[in-house]
Amino acid sequence: MSANPSPGFWSVALRKLRRDRAAMTALLVLALIILLTALAPVYAADIARNDPFQSNLSGSIMLHGKSVEILAPADNPLHLGIEPIGPTWQLGPYMFGADDQGRDVAARLLYGGRNTLLISAAAAVICLVLAAITGIIAGYFGGWTDRIISGLLDALWAFPIFLLAISLSVVLIAHGLTIGPITLNADSLALPIMIIGIIYVPYVARPIRGQVISLRESEFILAARSIGAPAWRILALDILPNIITTLIVFAPLVIALNMLTEAALSFLSIGVQPPHASWGTIIQDGESLIYTRPLVAIAPGIAVVITVLALNIFGDGLRDALDPRAKLRVDQ
Amino acid sequence: MILTILQRLGHMLFVLFGISVLVFLIFFATPGANPAARIAGRGASPATLAAVTHQYGLDRPLPVQYGLMMKQLFITQDLTSFVNLGEPVVPELIEAAPVTLSLVFGAAVIWVVFAILVGVLAAAFRNSWIDRILMVISLIGISMPVFWVGAVANLVTQGAYHDTWLFSWVPALGYVPFHVSPFGWFKALIIPWVTLAILYIGLYGRVLRGNLIEAMQEDYIRTARAKGLGPVRILLVHALRTSLISFVTLFGLDFGVLVGGGALLTEVVFGLQGVGELTFQALENLDLPMIMATVMYASFFVVVSNAVVDILYAFVDPRVRQS
Amino acid sequence: MKRILARALFAFASASLLAGQAAAAPPQSGGTLRLVVSSAAGTFDPQVNYTVEYAEMFQMMYDGLVAFRKAGGTDGFDIVPDLSTNVPTPTDGGLTYVFHLRPGIKFSNGQTVTLNDVVSSFRRLFKVNSPNAGTWYNVIVGGDACLNKPDTCTLPGIVTDPATNSIIFHLVHPDSEFLDQMAFPFAVILPADTPNHDMGTTYIPGTGAYTVKTYDPNKGLSLIRNPYFKLWSADAQPTGYPDRVEYRFGITPESQVTAVENGQYDWMFDTIPTDRLNEIALKYTKQVHLNPLEAVWYAPFNINIPPFNNLDARLAVEYAVNLQDSVKLYGGNALATPTCQILPPGIPGYVLYCPFTKNPGAKWSAPDWPKAMAYMKASGMAGQHVTIVTQSPSPYAQIGVDLQSTLNKLGFKADVKPISPNIQFTYIQNTNNNVQMSVTTWYQDYPAPSDFLNVLYGCASFNKGSDNSINISGFCDKAVDAQMQAAMLTTLTDPAKADAMWTTIDHQMTDRALAVNLFNPRKADFVSARLHHFVFSGEYQFLPQLASVR
Repeated sequence: MSANPSPGFWSVALRKLRRDRAAMTALLVLALIILLTALAPVYAADIARNDPFQSNLSGSIMLHGKSVEILAPADNPLHLGIEPIGPTWQLGPYMFGADDQGRDVAARLLYGGRNTLLISAAAAVICLVLAAITGIIAGYFGGWTDRIISGLLDALWAFPIFLLAISLSVVLIAHGLTIGPITLNADSLALPIMIIGIIYVPYVARPIRGQVISLRESEFILAARSIGAPAWRILALDILPNIITTLIVFAPLVIALNMLTEAALSFLSIGVQPPHASWGTIIQDGESLIYTRPLVAIAPGIAVVITVLALNIFGDGLRDALDPRAKLRVDQ
Repeated sequence: MILTILQRLGHMLFVLFGISVLVFLIFFATPGANPAARIAGRGASPATLAAVTHQYGLDRPLPVQYGLMMKQLFITQDLTSFVNLGEPVVPELIEAAPVTLSLVFGAAVIWVVFAILVGVLAAAFRNSWIDRILMVISLIGISMPVFWVGAVANLVTQGAYHDTWLFSWVPALGYVPFHVSPFGWFKALIIPWVTLAILYIGLYGRVLRGNLIEAMQEDYIRTARAKGLGPVRILLVHALRTSLISFVTLFGLDFGVLVGGGALLTEVVFGLQGVGELTFQALENLDLPMIMATVMYASFFVVVSNAVVDILYAFVDPRVRQS
Repeated sequence: MKRILARALFAFASASLLAGQAAAAPPQSGGTLRLVVSSAAGTFDPQVNYTVEYAEMFQMMYDGLVAFRKAGGTDGFDIVPDLSTNVPTPTDGGLTYVFHLRPGIKFSNGQTVTLNDVVSSFRRLFKVNSPNAGTWYNVIVGGDACLNKPDTCTLPGIVTDPATNSIIFHLVHPDSEFLDQMAFPFAVILPADTPNHDMGTTYIPGTGAYTVKTYDPNKGLSLIRNPYFKLWSADAQPTGYPDRVEYRFGITPESQVTAVENGQYDWMFDTIPTDRLNEIALKYTKQVHLNPLEAVWYAPFNINIPPFNNLDARLAVEYAVNLQDSVKLYGGNALATPTCQILPPGIPGYVLYCPFTKNPGAKWSAPDWPKAMAYMKASGMAGQHVTIVTQSPSPYAQIGVDLQSTLNKLGFKADVKPISPNIQFTYIQNTNNNVQMSVTTWYQDYPAPSDFLNVLYGCASFNKGSDNSINISGFCDKAVDAQMQAAMLTTLTDPAKADAMWTTIDHQMTDRALAVNLFNPRKADFVSARLHHFVFSGEYQFLPQLASVR
């Protein structure tokens, strides 16, 4: 491995990436998804024409010239059960049908996408920053510092994160949680962002630590140390630039992982709080309708699959462009 | 070397201790989690509540409670549940283990076989349409939330199409012990196996492909080629053998996590009462003794597999050993 | 007993619901009844466990001195002699009850039931910290001393007379519900040598028709016939039809439905998931049984902290909530009926009453938004923050979201927090958590109005800072408490007058808007095609021993 990436490194990488058709297609898909979710308020107001955060249990709409109840009693001899309106498959109210609260699934998908993307991206930033700090410190200083940090990372990796999530969500109902300058309260997205943000720190920090250990023994660092350069200078000017590419390569993969984790956390009702939505919470809402209105659970699942797939393909392209020999893996 | 292993052992104990303390503290910091009121029953009088609190030692200082719980979990092994009172947690864990092992072993066989198939085929036909299709399918496999796949699989096989010839053989959800009916065991597990394996086929297939392509450029392969060995033989015997080292490493890590209960969502979706399901139930019930037991069990496997992999690395890479 | 009126009202309702099944063939003995539930329900000690899931089992494994009649509908509320040959009429101004022990009854371990077993069973209630030792059984003389010092508990209020084989109970004060409490599974008679601690997963021998073969909270329960059982009263402890009962634990409700459809199990305990209701009602109409439950789903206000310490704010919500929404979320009108009042139908003293509706009177019809907005304005609470704490499973969370929508429309800033059901129930009770509003349920122990009015809104149930404070609204009014005490005393002498008193109390407390009462649920039971003679008791719900699988 060379010292600093050479000046031409970035432009070469960018050119490589531009020529990668799969990666560019994935990027286009991602841009389209972001654009669509950005248009959520427009869709809700002008096409779905209802409030996706207000339950609408007793309303009705006009469909094919008939008034249809949004939540109608099921048609059986015992009058058991209520069925939400199914997909109308036309651009307008209830294109994908209603959920069990009578809300427009399509509009909620768009709003949910915003939260899912925001949570995944913000959590990825937290994860990468924390991982870089811990990985660099552990790898560079070694000894007891390394042992303690590695121990903490191992503990975090093995820790039942769901327990932490359940506990935090209960604690936060009554009292917001204040950590330094940040105040968390229950209805913000900060809780899922924080929790998801720390889950994968060990996963990114470990390879960075390994990379830093190799770098520390490399000739150009040894040389810098022998002429008495201070540690912060070596870290900032020699180590960090080498780590940056690793972080960039990790970024789309961590976002993809976060998305899957968000969905899994919503399986336990931790995460985005109602009436707000994320793709994970919509899947969970759909669980209780899976036999009558399977689309409510299937549609957000497909949205997750497409987005994660696009992120992974783009991530591959990025890796090939920046660091063709890196071995990264996605895990759950 | 012995020193390294001893150090590693100390490190493992430190990690396990830290996790147990954290779990304990988080539990008692959660409002409403204190089990006394739940044990006493709805509408119990304050006197009864106080008596129950005392009876279960919940009025003692936390360090004492922690010490007692650890003693009961590891030494006397007679720790009992706070929810299903009198239910010893260690035997429950031991009984749940075969279910998880069955699930993980079966899934592992499927994912190893298919991942090797995918990896070798993709590497052999590098940059052809076969390679591209296999890689896209692998990526899709990696991109699906596992519980969602499970829910959709259930919807198809248990619900909508259960009465068709295709899925009428699918039994009701749940586990059938192997010694009761080997065929029933197989039928009950085949869909969970595939669901769990999909992710890892994609993952390992991609890793293997990358390693194979890398290995094909190594000197000794060039030598073999120069000696006139056939391409199939080179790929399968020489390149695959070296590539399997990192494959096995990955496998060790993932297998450890899954055996420890990492397949929680798969077990829950398919109603398999394994370690993951036990963990899930314990968390749902906020049953501290059971949470502690399952978390210690899971952490043990995670920490051990990490340690084994690290020690193996220390053999391979002298720089790591020095640090 | 006092529940003639209620029975008359209700007999018609359950008769019509059961009509479809009445013509089936006569039940036959033998076979294995296979039941299924999602999980075990805690300790297997009948003096400690407080769940319907296990009470359904205990009622055919154990006996008290008296018992609830093992019969369908409201007949299941009648109290009949069991291990005692009589149901005593209290003497001494309601302070003394004399029971006569039935001779020759044997436990499933072969021992004969003695007077000593009876006395030690009641002492054991206190020694194992039975949930209601301090709320029900401390009415026996010496009960309070036993509560404070369980180890030295002697309970001098119970006197035996070997000459006449009788047991005399002396009470501290007259108690109109003493016999109900004696018939409840807590008061079953166990062998005197049963250890004085919660027996957990270990089976304690009983006198009932069935005994335990195996029990494992992670697998299931297996019941076989008690070899020492000889029929003495089909009302109290019938012989039962199935030879074996196999209860399997650990199957999710969705899979339970599928399994019962496929005939792998005969009955499922859990509530049928709402998305399966239509399917089973269409394809398996004859295998579905609908029965009333004496229960209420409600959303208590915390009346001691803002904004709901303001009556106008509470009234605004009462008038605005659309009760039909919650009914829809629960599964529709066949499964739930909107209610404004605290008492559910089927409880003595119940008279239909609804002040919070468009046309106030007996029944709820629609929200009255103009009135709601007027009260909201008067309260001056617009813009106040409210957090509604619900359980996460469906339909609790959905009801919470619906209430949130209503509150926001009124002008509150509402949030809803669904949390794990196991935390939620204790969390909302503790005043330290400052819960403003929550969604919860209350199911009767036995059909007495005090089980709703006094338990849920009496001063004695309000314990500040405790996880056990079932008076979630925090309502404590000495005058109302006195009225309830008076009504309970009157029940002993003049049940009809007492019922009228309870009616008044119910309506007055409803007017005070302590909670948004949502609906009274009904139970839908789904059974296999081979199960005949499904009997649903008002007290225990499904009576497995009366079902026939032959």
